[in-house]
Parts: sequence; C-alpha cells; structure tokens
Amino acid sequence: MPRQADFAVEVRELTREYISAKRSHLVGKKSTTIIRALDRVDFEIQDGELFGLLGPNGAGKTTTVKILCTLLEPTSGQAFVKGYDVVKEAKHVRRIVNMVAGGERMLYYRLTGRENLKYFADLYDVPKREVSPRVDELLELVGLADRADDEVEKYSKGMKQRLQVCRGLINDPQVLFLDEPTLGLDVNIARDIREFIRERIVREQGKTVLLTTHYMFEAEEMCDRVGFLSEGKLVALGKPDELKRRIPSGFSVEIFVTRLTDDIVEGIQRLENVEKLITTDYEGEAEGEKVDRLVIRVGSDKTVPEVLNYMSNKPCRIISVNLRGPTLEDLFMFYTGGK
Amino acid sequence: MFLRVVLAEVEKNFKQYFFGARVLFWALALPLGNGLYLYFLYLPFAKEQVNLEFGASSFTMDLAGFTLIGQLLYSFFTMMLLAGAAFDRERQQGTLESVLLSPANRSAILLGGALANALNHIWLLIGVVLSWVLFLNVNVFIGDFLALAASVTLSYLSIVSLGMCFEALFIHSRRGTMYGTMLQEPIMFLSGLIFPLQSMPRALLPFSYLLPLTFGLVAVRLTLLGGASVTEVATPLIALLLMTAVFLALSVWLIGYAERSAKAKATLTQF
Repeated sequence: MPRQADFAVEVRELTREYISAKRSHLVGKKSTTIIRALDRVDFEIQDGELFGLLGPNGAGKTTTVKILCTLLEPTSGQAFVKGYDVVKEAKHVRRIVNMVAGGERMLYYRLTGRENLKYFADLYDVPKREVSPRVDELLELVGLADRADDEVEKYSKGMKQRLQVCRGLINDPQVLFLDEPTLGLDVNIARDIREFIRERIVREQGKTVLLTTHYMFEAEEMCDRVGFLSEGKLVALGKPDELKRRIPSGFSVEIFVTRLTDDIVEGIQRLENVEKLITTDYEGEAEGEKVDRLVIRVGSDKTVPEVLNYMSNKPCRIISVNLRGPTLEDLFMFYTGGK
Repeated sequence: MFLRVVLAEVEKNFKQYFFGARVLFWALALPLGNGLYLYFLYLPFAKEQVNLEFGASSFTMDLAGFTLIGQLLYSFFTMMLLAGAAFDRERQQGTLESVLLSPANRSAILLGGALANALNHIWLLIGVVLSWVLFLNVNVFIGDFLALAASVTLSYLSIVSLGMCFEALFIHSRRGTMYGTMLQEPIMFLSGLIFPLQSMPRALLPFSYLLPLTFGLVAVRLTLLGGASVTEVATPLIALLLMTAVFLALSVWLIGYAERSAKAKATLTQF
C-alpha cells in the first residue's frame, strides 16, 4: 500500500555509494575505493511540476534518476514516487513511471519505430485495444508518423530521441524522468523537444517531470523549480527567481574577446571585486581569429570599467561586452564553484 | 500479462537477432559442418555402427545418426547460451535498462528469449535431419513414437529451462559471454556428445549426470536410433523432468537475485 502521498516524488536522506575496485597489477591484491555519488539528498516534487535537477558531470543527477525509477538501489535513505517506496514497492513504481535518457540507447535498432513502441506497450500491459491508437498518436505528436515503419537504425539522432520520448510516454506515466534528454542534439530539434515536454507533457497532460541537465538555459526555460547537485550534495533548491535573489552580488559581465591568454585571465582574477570568472570556448571567429567567451561575476558595478581598462592595455581584442542580471548559469557557478 | 510478455519477447528476438538469410544460413551450416566432421572422423574406426550402453541395456545404432543427434542437441544447447549472451548485448545497447524499467514479469522475459532461440532451432533441426537422411542414409529405428516424443520434448524443455538460468546469470554478470564460451567445451566433453557415455572416465560421470544434455542425448538416441520403449528410457526421462522443474525454479530465484544484485552493484549497463 502506498503511504499518504503529499508529493509526486519525495526523497529523504538519499545516499548512494559506489565501490570501485582496482588491482595494482594482474595478480595483485584488489584495493577498493568508496565513491559517494549521493550524500543525504532531500527534496520533493509537487504533482504536475517540472522540476530540474542540475549540476556538473558526476554530480549525482543520473544516480538520483536511476534510484527513483527503480534501476538502482540506494545505499541508505528513502525515496517515494506517488507514495510508493522505490525499493520495497518497486513493482508499483514501475507501472507509474518511465524514463527517457539522452544519447542513442534504449531502443532496438533492427525494429521499426512502430515495432519498438508496440513491444514496450506489451511490456507495460497497455490494454490491447489502446495500443495501436496510442502508438499512432505518439508518433504523430513527435512528427515521426511518416517514418514509423522504417527501422530505427535508419533514423537520425534527433528522430531516435523523439522516438525515445514516445517510448517514455507509452505507459502514460504519472511521473516522467528525463535524463539529459537533449544531449548532443541539434539546436532546432532540442528546442522542439523542450517545447513538447513543457507544453504537451506538463501543461496539457499535467504529468510530473523530473529533468536533469547541465544546460542551464534549458533549465531556465523549462523548470518551475530547480535543485543544484554538487559532488553528491544538494546545495540549493527553489524557484529560479528565488535562488537568483539569494546570490550575494549584483550581476555578471559577459565579454567576447580574441587573443585571450592565461596571463590576462589571471590578471583579471586578481582585480578587486572580481568574484568569479569562467572562460568558455565560443564557436565563432572574428576577422579570422578564435573568439573566447568570458563570464565574470563582479561585486560592484565599478569593477566593470576596471576590467575593461585592464584588458584594453593588454594584447587581446574585445569584440563585445554584455551586462546582465543573474542567470541560472551564475547560480550554477555560485553553487558548484564553476565546475 | 505473462503470455503477452513471452510473445512480445519472442517476436522482438526474431526481428532483432535472427534476421536475414546470412544469419540463418550459418545457423544451419555450422552444426551440419561439425556433424560431418565428426562422422568422417569416426568412420574408419566405428564401421558405421556405434554401441551405446545405458543401465543394463546395450543398443547398437547408426554412427551418422549418433553424431547427428549429438550435434543437433548441442547446437540447441549453444542457442540457449546465445539466448543468455543476448542479455550481454542488451546491456551494451542500453536496452536492458529499458526492459527492466518496465513492470513486465522477469521470468516471462527469460522464457521469451529462450523460446525464440528454441523456435529458431526447430527449422534448423528439420533442415539438418533431412540433409542427413537424404545424403547419408541414416538408419532410423523408432520402436515407440511416444517414447521418442517424450524424449525430444523433455530434452528441449530441460535445455530451455537451463537456458533461462544462463540468461539470469548473464544479467548478473558483465562477463556473461566469456563464461558462456568457457562452458561450451567442458559441456561438449561431459555430455557424451562426441562419444558414448560408457567411454567416459568414471570419475567424471557424476558431472555428466548434472547436465540435462547428457540425459537428452541418451533418450533421443535410444528412441530414435535404438528403438527403445518408454520403460527403457524411463530413467533419463524422469531425470529430464526433474531437471526441468529444478532449473525453472532456479531461474525464477536467479533472475530475482541477479536483478537485485545488479541494482546494488550498478551493473545494469556496460558503461
């Protein structure tokens, strides 16, 4: 029997450790290391909410999702989906959840799109009379109706991902787990999938969704609430706007620059009131030169001219400067130390 | 629900793994080639007859038939190992997680995988028997059709149930394919596939009697080539029946254990 469910998902003190065993040489003694992937994590998700679990690679996002959909057991702690314990009542949980992972896995390549969905409909015991209409409806929804009878190996990456979303909805789950669903997809396809999840799955169908991603703009665009995981710990939880107000400094400055060197970056970091700085490779060129993107969080607006003044005396060339309020990316940097 | 999952698994396996003329050609050609190899290897020594002793009885039978049945049942056994190895492939493809994410009955999933391989073996069996009867004139001597039917059915069922255990083991371990390959040769030797069981060193006989393949080979050879009656093959038939029951029960326990263990050790995916 499920316990009284105040939340769609409830996670209490969830901890997961992995044991990594290594031999120093072929016949040597095994040495084991314990890696704590999740460390006493607590959060809840309301019914019909789109919740984002954010964090860098290895933060524990996928581990959390796998525990919640019964594919992994926690080392300690508890988790409930619609009141069902994910360990003790795993069979009940499996009926009401589904999971979509990023990448090109979890589908049978020699089966057609339609055959894949019918196979999974059988595994979920979808009433037989509902299988064909539901498969057709889902394929239509994601724009795969005209390729439904092609083998999956002939699909593009985006088509496979759209089919995965169909697979995730085949049992009409009450709670859907999306583990980096737009990983490696073209911008247009990723945008379509995001819109489909937000508008059709959450707003129209009222399903509860837990989304993991390390694309901050994706979470910003989609999520009602977010949680930040860093090294297995939940370091922040709340609505994006509330969290943005919590970070102490005012704003960030985004600078696109060419001929950036490590010396210049170190110099900027030494300036007073520069709180955090990250550099990212920007996929663009200016007059044949590679452009870098700098995001600098500053404690005072007076710092911006100082940064620009410092850079103008160096051999780099500033292409553009944008001032902006805090974004989820800033929160990410703040809570995870820019990892 | 159980039957629906079994049928869905059978259909999926046929479409995903047994596709195309090339795969089917090699499924037929390999046991046929091995059988011919053994036949011509024995021919100079056995003068086309082989003596098979079981209990107090002794049966003389056609050498070609003896090697043929050995190869057929062995290829069936190998297909069960392949059914297990399919879970290794599923682990690499990432589909094992999507299957175990569902509430489908785990034993139904195992049975479906094993049955797909069993069904795939039936046409192969027909093809090989026809080829050998037509080209090698195997002298078939059936004394009791009921005994033959019971022997074939129980041999298949016991090997299918053992196949389900292999599948569960392969879910448990990420080195399933390696273990499957390691098992092939000892089982080939111990089951009496290549030579009559009476030639087996006495010390090894207890290991032979742990294998359903051993009893299946005796029962099918005696009833198809030696004209044995139900009474004469009662012992191997009872052994096969018991083994089927034990392996079925063991597979149910093993799949539960394998799934729990894989979730605890995080080994449901390869990478």
